[in-house]
Amino acid sequence: MQWLTLYKKECLESARNFKWIWVPLVFILLCITDPLSTYYLPLILESTGGLPEGAVIEIPTPLPFEVFMMSISQLNLLGILVIALITMGTISGERKDGVAELILVKPVSYFSYITAKWTAYMTLILSSTFIGFLASWYYIELLFGDLSFTNILLTFLFFGIWLMFVVSISIFMNTSSKLPGIVLFLTLGTLIAMNLGTTIFSTYLEWSPSKIVSYLPVLLNNGYVPEDLWFSSFGAAILSALFIFGATLLLKRREMV
Amino acid sequence: MLLTQTVIQTIEENLPVLLPLFIIQLLLMITALVSLIRATSTRGPKWMWIIIILFLNTIGPIVYFIIGRRDDL
Amino acid sequence: MLAGLIKPTEGHVSLDDYKENDIRKHIGYLPQHPQFHSWMTGREFLIYAAQLSHLPKKEAAQKADSLLNRFELQEMKNRKIKKYSGGMKQRLGIAQAIIHSPKVLLLDEPVSALDPIGRRTILNLMEQLKKETTLLYSTHILGDAEEVSDEILLMHKGAVVESGSLDKVKQRHNVDKITLRFAKDTKKYQNILENLSSVIKTEYKKQTLQVYVTDPVIAKDEVLSLAVSEKWPLLHFEVGRTTLEDLFMKVVNEHAVADPI
Repeated sequence: MQWLTLYKKECLESARNFKWIWVPLVFILLCITDPLSTYYLPLILESTGGLPEGAVIEIPTPLPFEVFMMSISQLNLLGILVIALITMGTISGERKDGVAELILVKPVSYFSYITAKWTAYMTLILSSTFIGFLASWYYIELLFGDLSFTNILLTFLFFGIWLMFVVSISIFMNTSSKLPGIVLFLTLGTLIAMNLGTTIFSTYLEWSPSKIVSYLPVLLNNGYVPEDLWFSSFGAAILSALFIFGATLLLKRREMV
Repeated sequence: MLLTQTVIQTIEENLPVLLPLFIIQLLLMITALVSLIRATSTRGPKWMWIIIILFLNTIGPIVYFIIGRRDDL
Repeated sequence: MLAGLIKPTEGHVSLDDYKENDIRKHIGYLPQHPQFHSWMTGREFLIYAAQLSHLPKKEAAQKADSLLNRFELQEMKNRKIKKYSGGMKQRLGIAQAIIHSPKVLLLDEPVSALDPIGRRTILNLMEQLKKETTLLYSTHILGDAEEVSDEILLMHKGAVVESGSLDKVKQRHNVDKITLRFAKDTKKYQNILENLSSVIKTEYKKQTLQVYVTDPVIAKDEVLSLAVSEKWPLLHFEVGRTTLEDLFMKVVNEHAVADPI
């Protein structure tokens, strides 16, 4: 009941400040940019006349699932930047300007306060991602060829777990600083450090959440879930839970200094 | 001149494909403008944001939503 | 700390027999500079606050409306809080603090940032509220404290130096004095007064003469008969009545002497 109140407030806030409009639109644009530019690339090259006379343009048309992976890469880079930016102030900002003081003297559990925010952002981000996926799928069917929708749904599920991990890091960082800029820095820093670590110790860290995206092409192409994808998703889920509990503890400590 | 003509011709030919893209970009721009008009305070002058939103396609509205809005917290 | 936001370094906060529960349920709190979700309307915020205090939706809406009426915010109730003035925010702040009918209401400097009219409104509200609940508030404007409080706690350097009901505390630290104000020649009368047997000393400040006496009854008669027989141009005559400000200065001075650090 109380949790629902907190959740509704978050959703209402995201609607009032237009996040529920612009984030889906931006995700759609991120998803369709690559399919379109890939399709029009030969045409663009031809019309700019950048190639010497007589040169034969030999650009292999990528397979549908390869084009879809391009959309995912865009989301994985710029989409995650957007996620980190829209979540960076959700707790830190409320603590900085003092609203949190008014809310947390009410008999509100810190865990509800955090999970309501987490769920509200997950709702927004997963919806936007799903709409983006649909847009990408539409253009791929139109311009490149057939791609199994079931595989796209499966890919959405696993990519969603990766995004959930990103949101959880950001929520955790939100409780560690009152400055949204610092939260952004810590979130992106953690993601980059994890990526580096996973690349260096690749053989030991098959389960690292950072590897989820690299396992997706197989799933997208064959509809088959590689074992390592199960492990890394499991790792992401466990780590997300730890971040959320950590955030609750940290907020309790920070607010009750 | 020839180049512009080719581009326009290409766009015309591919309108069914490109139309959704244009519509989404337009929607994003309109949303940003509505938000800007209703905002009580922005970081930096409003006229500057109007120019950014109108002339920097896609990037303009996004930058406005992320750093231009001040009063949503 | 009392509001449950800060953990005490020692001891614990208890409220009758609610020691075990989350005491936040029984406490309403208004910080010195309350901040709201400024994108919400006043009514939305009150309903939100009520629901967070476990009131069902319907009851929350009713409570919010009645408080908005009572605090004269009904005209602004559907406008965004960012459009509210300081006084309106303060009233909204008190409304959100009492929406769940708390046992104790804590206000931190509730009037210090307000203009005189806003201050008067809030003080009148506090006067009403203390009939409904226990009102605990901090202030450094001692005139306000004197006006609204029944009991006071004087704090100096983080420690309680004096406490009790306002009347008792005043009696305990009563200073016998007569306050006089003259139309002219104050200095001349100061000399005459100092020669009276019942007067200990006199003090001239801000156009008035403070006369400290051994026995206020005798001194009153002496001074008044002198004033009548010699036709003094008296404007103001007052016996006794220590203000809270005098009292505070006295108590703090005593402590400063006792504790030289």
